[in-house]
This record gives sequence, C-alpha cells and structure tokens, in this order.
Amino acid sequence: MIVAGKAFGQQPKFTASVDKNTMATGEEFVVTFTINTNGEQFNPPDFRGFEVEGNSSQSSESIGSTTSVSISYQVQLLAVKEGDFTIGSASIIANGHRLITSPIKIKVIKGRAVPQNTQPQSSAPDNGIQHASATDLSKLLFIKAIVDKTNVYLGQQINVTYRLYTRVNIEQNQAASTPELNGFWSEDIKQQGGQVPMHIEVYKGTRYEVADLKKTILFPERSGDLTVDPLAMTFIISVPVQSSDPLAQFFQDTKQEKYEAKSTPVTIHVKPLPDAGKPASFTGAVGSFNMESSIDKTELKANDALNYKVKVTGSGNIKLLKTLSTNFPADFEKYDPKTTDTVTENENGVSGSRFYNYLLIPRHQGEFNIDPLNFSYFNPATNRYVIVTAKGFHIKVDKGPNESNVTAFSDAEKQDIKMLSKDIRYIKTTDNNLAKNGDTFFGSIGYWLLLLVGPALCYGAYVYRNKLIEQNSDLVKVKSRKAGKIAAKHLTNAQAQLSAGNVSEFYENVFTGLYGYLSDKLNIQYADLNKETIESSLKDKKVSGSLISRLLETLDLCEMARYAPVKHISQQEVFEKAKGIINDIENEI
Amino acid sequence: MILRMKFNMLKRFVYLVALLAAPLLSSAAEGTGALFSKGNDLYAKGQYKESLAAYQQLIDQGYQSAAVYFNMGNASFKNDDIASAVLYYEKAHKLAPGDDDINYNLKYVNLKTTDKIEEVPEFFLSRRWHGFILSFSTGTLAVWSIIFVLLGSAILALYFFAGSVIVKRASFYGMILFFFFGVFTVFVANRQLSYFEDHPEAVVFSPSVNVKSGPVDNANTLFVIHDGTKVNVLDNSNGWTKISLANGNEGWIKQGDFKEI
Repeated sequence: MIVAGKAFGQQPKFTASVDKNTMATGEEFVVTFTINTNGEQFNPPDFRGFEVEGNSSQSSESIGSTTSVSISYQVQLLAVKEGDFTIGSASIIANGHRLITSPIKIKVIKGRAVPQNTQPQSSAPDNGIQHASATDLSKLLFIKAIVDKTNVYLGQQINVTYRLYTRVNIEQNQAASTPELNGFWSEDIKQQGGQVPMHIEVYKGTRYEVADLKKTILFPERSGDLTVDPLAMTFIISVPVQSSDPLAQFFQDTKQEKYEAKSTPVTIHVKPLPDAGKPASFTGAVGSFNMESSIDKTELKANDALNYKVKVTGSGNIKLLKTLSTNFPADFEKYDPKTTDTVTENENGVSGSRFYNYLLIPRHQGEFNIDPLNFSYFNPATNRYVIVTAKGFHIKVDKGPNESNVTAFSDAEKQDIKMLSKDIRYIKTTDNNLAKNGDTFFGSIGYWLLLLVGPALCYGAYVYRNKLIEQNSDLVKVKSRKAGKIAAKHLTNAQAQLSAGNVSEFYENVFTGLYGYLSDKLNIQYADLNKETIESSLKDKKVSGSLISRLLETLDLCEMARYAPVKHISQQEVFEKAKGIINDIENEI
Repeated sequence: MILRMKFNMLKRFVYLVALLAAPLLSSAAEGTGALFSKGNDLYAKGQYKESLAAYQQLIDQGYQSAAVYFNMGNASFKNDDIASAVLYYEKAHKLAPGDDDINYNLKYVNLKTTDKIEEVPEFFLSRRWHGFILSFSTGTLAVWSIIFVLLGSAILALYFFAGSVIVKRASFYGMILFFFFGVFTVFVANRQLSYFEDHPEAVVFSPSVNVKSGPVDNANTLFVIHDGTKVNVLDNSNGWTKISLANGNEGWIKQGDFKEI
C-alpha cells in the first residue's frame, strides 16, 4: 500500500514544516511531513491544542539522473486556543531506521472566537477523522436554516437562508422541495445566474463547503410562535470507504449513497404591534417608509380627468401595503388606484417604491381641496409608529362643456344621494317633558279631574236645558209674559210718529200696540180679536169694568182717529191713556 | 243669550284646564334646564364622559325624560359603552315609545352588540297591536283623551240645545264618535302602561354571562350571553333571576349581571 521507490545513495530525510508559525485563533494552517524515500509505520504527533480539519497525502517522483521519490502527508489544522503550542515529533521507519522530525513551535494570538468542538475526534485525530465520515453522515452533509432574527414584530421582515454544508462529494442532487412557510408572506431573493456559488466556511471548528440554496425574506402575517418550515433535499453522495491507513487515501475507494438532508425547523416569536399610539391611518405597514404626493394639474374643467399620484418608498412589507386612506372630495368620481411596484429583494431585505395612481374626475365646478394624505407605519427599529404626511392640493374646477346650461330635464342628470357613513342620530337639544320620577300625567289625579270636566259640564248643560224647557213649556204664559214688552215696543214707535207729526201712523201704532198686547195677553188669535171678545175675556179675568170701558173707549178713539181728525183730545193724552191702560191691565192680571 | 252663556262656560273651562295642567306640563325648575343644556354643550364638544355626568346629575335629582335618557344613550355610545347605551335608549323608549330618533338609535346600537338573537316572530295581529299601542307616549295619549272627551261633551251640549233635526242628529253621532275616541285613547294608554309592567326587561352588563338551567351555581350552563343583550325578566329567586331571550330561550342569571330597564 505504500508507494515504493528506490533510493540510491541517498540519505533518507524526514522533515516537518508549517506554512506559518504565528496566527490568530480561527485561522487554519497546514503541517506537512515529507519523506524523500519510502517509509512505513508513520506515526503522526499529537496535535493537542488544535483541531484537525483534514489531511491529504501526495507523492511525487522525479526520474532523471537520479530517481527521487518524495511522499508528503499534510494535516490541516485550525488554531482554536491562543497561546504557545508545540507540535511534537512524528516518526517513521525508513530503510530500517527510525526517523523523527523536530518539534515546531506555534504561536496563536487572539483572533475570532472559535466554538470548541466537543466531539472527541479533536483529541484523537488520527482515527477520528476517518471514523466520522463513516459514522455520521449528518455531520458531513446538512442543511441549516439561518434566520437573522427570531424575535420580531408582526410584519417585520426576516431574512432566511437555507445553507448547505458539505464535506463530501455530491454526485447529484434533486431539486429542493419548497417549504410551505405557513403564516408568512415570503419573497424569494433571486440568486445571480443559475449557479449556486460554493465557498468554504468553518462551522463549529470544521471546514465545510457551503452553498446558499435558497434565500427568502419572510413577513410574519400573524402574531405568536411561527415555525419556519424545513427545507429538504435529496443528494447522492460518494462516501470514502473506511480505511485505517492514512496514506491509503491516495487510493481512496468510494461508494455512492443516497442521503436526504433536512434543515431543522426554526421558531420565530412574532410580537403583535403595540396598541399604544397606533394612529388611525395605520393599515399594517412595518418598516421604514417615506411618501410624497403629486398631481398633474390644479386647474381643470369639470369632467376632465385628474391624476393624483402617491409614491411610497422605503424598505419593509411594501408589497403588502393596503390602499391608502385617501380623502377625496365626495363629489369627485374616483377610481381604484393603479399601483406600480418597483421592488428589489436582496440580503438587506425588501425595499423599493410603490406608485399609486388615482384617477379622479370632478363632475361639478367649484373649488375643492384634496386633504393632506396621512400614511403611518411601524418602525421596528425604534418601536414607534411614524406618521408621514404628503401635502394636500387645492383644485379649481371650471365649468365643463357638458355641464353647461341644461334646460331640459332628464333623469340622467340626476344623482342618487350616496350614503357615506352611518352614525347614530344626534342628541335632542330641547326637552319639554322633564318631570320628577313617577310624575306621569296619565293616571294622575289632575288627569282624571280634567277628564271629568267634560261630562260634568255636559251634565250642567243638561240640567240648564231642562229648566229652560220647563219654563218654556207653557206657551200662553210665555206669550202673556212677553205681551207687555211687545206693547211697549209699539208704543215707543207711536211716540216717534207723534213727535214726527204723522197723525194717522201714530194712531195706527197705538191701535196695533193695544190689539197685539191684548191678543198675547188674552191668548186670542189676532183675527178673532174684536171688542166683544176683548170685553168678555177681560171680564173672565176679573178686570174692573171701568178699566174695560176705558180700554174700549180708547180703542174706539184710535179707530176713529185713523179716518177722521179728532179734536176733543190731544194725541199726547191718547198716548198716556193707552200706556196707563196697559199698566193697569198688567197690574190686574 | 244661550250662546253667550256657552262662551262663558268655555272661557271658565279653559282657565280650569290651564290651572290643573300647568304644574304638570310646564318644565321643572330652571336649574334642571341649565344642567340639560350643559350636558348638551359638553356633548357637542366631544366631552362625552362629562356630558354623561351632567345628565346623570339630573337623574340623581329625581328627574327623568325621554330626551335625557336618549342623550345619555348617545353619550354612552360615543364612550364605547354599548351596554349602557342600550339601557338608556330602552329607558327613553319606555317613556316615548313612538319617538323616531330613539327607535333608530336603539336599532343601530343593537347592531353593535355581541349576541345576535333571532327574534321569534310574533303573531302578526299581536305585533300590529303592540306597535299601535306603543306608537304614542302615555302623556300624548292622556292629552288626546282629554281633548276627545271635551269635544264629545261640547257636541253633546250642542245636541241638548240644537233646534233643527239635522244638527241634532249630526251632533248625536259626533258625540258618540268623540266619546268613543276618548275612551279608546285612555284604554290604549292603559294597555301601554301594563305592557311595560308585564314585560320587565333588563340589559346584560357583564361581558360574559353563563345562563344556568336553575338558580344554583352548580346548575348546567345552557348558553352564554354578552353585554348589551336585552333580556325579559320573568322571575326572581334569592339572588337569581329567570330571564328569557327574544328567541325564546330561558335560563337563570345572577342579579349582579344585568340592570333593569
């Protein structure tokens, strides 16, 4: 198994060398053991204080005038601890002699911290390296999900890198399954070109070939503990066949093996956004943003279009921004905004800008104001809400061509009144019914009394009417009671005629006055009234004879005086006489 | 002469009505009016808590009116206290069942409560009847009943004194009609009072209340109701109250969990 060569007259020489003597912790260096002839029973020194990263062997043969053979064995070491170390002597047997190398002093100064590998392989490097490859593939090939932070606010961006670590030869791989990432909104970072660049990285003190399989920016969509799903990938790898001899690796035998690597899930603690100080215009933007607004014209005609543009720039969940809480004049016709995103995703997160282009059409002339637009976001770096305001505009709308002087009534010009919002009705500003508790009008004593007023008055009216009816029931009585008044009326007329000098009318009035009076008083129809009936009924009523004769005498006089002048008695005397008669009859009946 | 006498009667009657009704219909002392407008001013400024306190002072002094309760409901609503808003609106509704604003706000605020309860549809006649007897406040009905009875009485008096047959006949039927209206309004007002007395209601104030199957702590929980829900009060038994919901479900809750309307 050992490469053999011939050495002629050549002193076997066995040396040890390092590529550098002074280094910082975390740096690697190579120790090379070289022998210029064949050797056996190579016994490497103890690399105490270092970690063994790997080893390789090389042999070269130069055939010329003299054939020389040189075999070298290289050990890659990693400086872990600071201090002065000595790499002890290695020994080998060549040509029957035992050769040893001189020890090498190494000085390690403080550099970057290196995690101590607790695996026993560092203390027993000579066989540990070999065994590790056989026993634990998961140490040689694994995928790690690396997140830049695990404690975030809702909507705060997290970078996740799925990184492949390998120390074996990958023959073939199958496409990675895409993790589902429930609870997140994710944005993949595109890798340049199709190739995945490989580089060397030391992880837990071990060198790995490393490739970033997938880089994603995650935005948590709900609070709580969310899990970043693992990424799984299947590889076909070539594994070296176990061998105990270090130099045997020159003839390394390999076998192919199928292996599925899977990253471990990572838990992210997502805090809800604080309620304190949350502005009304906040719609969930998290990050750091700026905003500006612009308008293409401030003066236009009705029914012309107006473009109102808002540009939001910054980094954060820019693609998740909801519509802005714009406040356009209610009389403007507005359309949903056209949004254009210019967003780049890289290791620093998602950043870029979003344009909102609102198309507005004022339908009526007038002066309008577009209020300053508020946009608020949560800045996770300062744990504060920030409000940015874009400036407002004053718009002057002139009369448009279509709006002018429409004289015909048409339904098309009418608009429905839009309900903009709902609210409770406003408070009552006057109160006329404030009353002490329990003082309700209905059912109170006052109420019942008032209710009884009507019927009580009715009863009163009823009683009063009955009394009237009773009084009026005797028509004759009523007439005779009223007779005096009627006679008096006729006599008053007569007096008026007397003073006017109308003699015949005077007598006629006196006559009808007396006749009417008697008709009522004696209850005799006017037509039936004559001297005989008057005389007999007066007698019936026990009126004195002298009075009756006085009455008849006066009646005769009046009758006569209507046709012929009367001389023996003055008109004034007749009048007084008639009055006296009526008075006397009233007294006697 | 008869006419003059009637006129005199009417005049005297008006005086009497004014005398009797004045203390009932006029608003209370001036201080209360000032408190009311103070509450209104505070409300207009958006200081709902302070405005509520001003109205509450009125209530504490023993006064009440539909307008005060309505405004208190508004202030509570603006304070995000839905349960109180429901309570005050219901109180206002009780005092002025036909008021449009009160009914609108009550409906609106009921949309904001947690529990959605499907009302058991009432028989349409009884629904119409309840809607009818609740369409005017008892105060309004009382005034109308007095007016109807007075008009009826006046027409009856006209009947007593009327000469012509046509007037007599017309006044007779008119009298019957007005008296009927008068009695009917009294009846409706009476029905309204007893409707509220027979249907004591309450509003749940605790955020979450377990409704039990019996008036004991270890009874089964039948369902859970939340603040702002209106319940009918059916029965009381040592610290527990039997309630029913509009959907017909019944159960027992503790007396501290609700406030009666």
